[in-house]
Amino acid sequence: MDIMDKLTILTDGAKYDAACTSSGVTRKGPANGKGLGNVMPAGCCHSFSSDGRCITLLKVLMSNSCIYDCKYCVNRSSNDVPRATFTPSELADLTIQFYRRNYIEGLFLSSGVIKNPDYTSEQMAKALEVLRYQYGFWGYIHTKILPGTSAELVRRLGLLADRVSVNVELPSEASLVSLAPQKKREAIFTPMAQITQGITTGKAEVVQYRKAPKFAPGGQATQMIIGASPESDYSIVRLASALYGKYDLKRVFYSAYIPAIRDKMLPAIDTKPPLLREHRLYQADWLMREYHFEAEEILSDEEPNFNPYMDPKCNWAVNNLHFFPVDVGKADYEALLRVPGIGPKSAARIVTARRHSRLGMAELKRIGVVLKRAKYFIVTSDEPLGISVNKYTAAKALIDPNSFSMGVEQLTLFDAPQTRFLLDPANHVIEDVREEAALCLATKL
Amino acid sequence: MPGYKIVVYPTDVIYIYDGGIAGFLTCVHESFYAKELPLNIVSDANYEPSLYKHKFVAADEAKAKTVRESIARNISKRALDLTDHLLLCHHEKKELALLKFLITAFRVGPKATSMLGDKEVSDVLAMERHMLGERHLLLGFIRFKDYGGMLGAVISPKNFVLPLLAEHFVCRFPNENFMIYDKTHNAALIYQDRKLEITAVEDIKFADESEEELHYQNLWKSFYKTIGIKERLNPKCRMSHMPKRYWINMVEMKEFL
Repeated sequence: MDIMDKLTILTDGAKYDAACTSSGVTRKGPANGKGLGNVMPAGCCHSFSSDGRCITLLKVLMSNSCIYDCKYCVNRSSNDVPRATFTPSELADLTIQFYRRNYIEGLFLSSGVIKNPDYTSEQMAKALEVLRYQYGFWGYIHTKILPGTSAELVRRLGLLADRVSVNVELPSEASLVSLAPQKKREAIFTPMAQITQGITTGKAEVVQYRKAPKFAPGGQATQMIIGASPESDYSIVRLASALYGKYDLKRVFYSAYIPAIRDKMLPAIDTKPPLLREHRLYQADWLMREYHFEAEEILSDEEPNFNPYMDPKCNWAVNNLHFFPVDVGKADYEALLRVPGIGPKSAARIVTARRHSRLGMAELKRIGVVLKRAKYFIVTSDEPLGISVNKYTAAKALIDPNSFSMGVEQLTLFDAPQTRFLLDPANHVIEDVREEAALCLATKL
Repeated sequence: MPGYKIVVYPTDVIYIYDGGIAGFLTCVHESFYAKELPLNIVSDANYEPSLYKHKFVAADEAKAKTVRESIARNISKRALDLTDHLLLCHHEKKELALLKFLITAFRVGPKATSMLGDKEVSDVLAMERHMLGERHLLLGFIRFKDYGGMLGAVISPKNFVLPLLAEHFVCRFPNENFMIYDKTHNAALIYQDRKLEITAVEDIKFADESEEELHYQNLWKSFYKTIGIKERLNPKCRMSHMPKRYWINMVEMKEFL
């Protein structure tokens, strides 16, 4: 089989993996002046695929010949697809040649399980060793740790890669048992705990000996498939929050399930991928990581699923109107972060700018604050009482335009208008529904 | 120290300079000493004769040095970087905006660049952001081709970002030879035998692409097409992250134009 076919097959098998960032590490250049490669602190997108996702890394599988038969996976052993496996040197050569041409920022390596997890990890480690030691490659490497990999190989891979991740695959153990019976919960969480431990001791060693080898300096991530199993949004958000807390993960990625097989335990084959739900999960995730929200503030037992019409931050604001208005001249950074439309950047800029002048709406605009939503939640020097609000206009501004481009039909609805019409996006009824959603919200304000 | 008050009066003179940093700083010197706020400052390349009075300001290294030192001492190092950055921008009125900013900045001192709500300040910061944004995108979107040991790339940016690309690529490929040709500004960044140089060039013709080069290009194109998930097709989102004007120089995107 030639390299072109291999690349196509092994890319096709890897494309559903969500993570493609090169964040968490900074490297000025090759350590000893030999070889090539550096890593920028903020990461760098090299292209964007037809689905609008960023391409940063060469995202491929080592092999798609998998002994497991996980129901939701395109690479499951019972699926009739062409199979291929890279040799370590083929993969290393491809990475280097793509990197030299500035196509990519590095390598994202995952794999199906050949023979057993350790054999596969051994192959992956060999490829990374060729890259790091033979080519002197110091670009970014993210590698998957397969569930059930031995402690020794986890350590070896962690010393080669910048970031490692063990997939939790599904948001609950019950789903894991029914959909991926060959993957055991312990096989996932044992390496995850080992990595957390490795990163912590690694950091301590570097403090003592500057040249101590760095174990996964870019931290640990994970991902789960959304929409293949019945968990509520709240339980997913709580799981993510626990992973951030207990295992000190850098990122949790969510991947909307795209039906690949007919099975009575899975959504029907013509089900659309729950893109809006995935989008909401990322928004909630962002709120927990960058905006200091707790999972319990985003959703609750009473409201276990996301509001399809508003992003989680707006939703929180509408449910906590007593918190507003926030005075941009006085409120602390944390309070500013709670205002819909104000993010970490805007909040930091406001704090800087207000030391020197009073801030009115015009100043905020110059600072770069997007006022479309924020203006309903703040008081400024020229609007000391807040702008007078027409509830209906405000409601319209708060409604998320994405709700309608991505389709709301996948979500459990709250006091819902007639969303079934939305199945056909060309339907003029969309306007009516948007209207109705706005009216609904206006009464709540 | 703050309180270094510049008094200038609006006039209808247009300053013409050579487009370089020393030339611009000489204009600043001229404006402060003649106590006049020009109607506009344009480089000789962009100057179109009009009924307004004009003044040719010849670059003067000594005056430029005075202004440069004064910015660093009386405003801040950041203001000096901002000045350097702004001359790389493509905005038509960048020089006048920068002069107005400097007038304010000399008056208020070191806090100038953090007065984000101020019109003069936010104007120049917005221009700088636009330029740095384009630079950041290009760090990823630049595509090299291997011409037998020499990597070559073509870019056509709005802003003159070439000087700000150099460090990144030298750190990345310290042992390669490479060239980045800026079509818009007729300039090239050349890194050869560990020496870096940016020079003005006329139209550059690259050699034919070798079979090996085409092989890797095809592999990359195939990767690009395969990695997109068809159930999630979203051309609008792609376009907003990767505007079409960059596609012309990108191996995998050219065929979609």
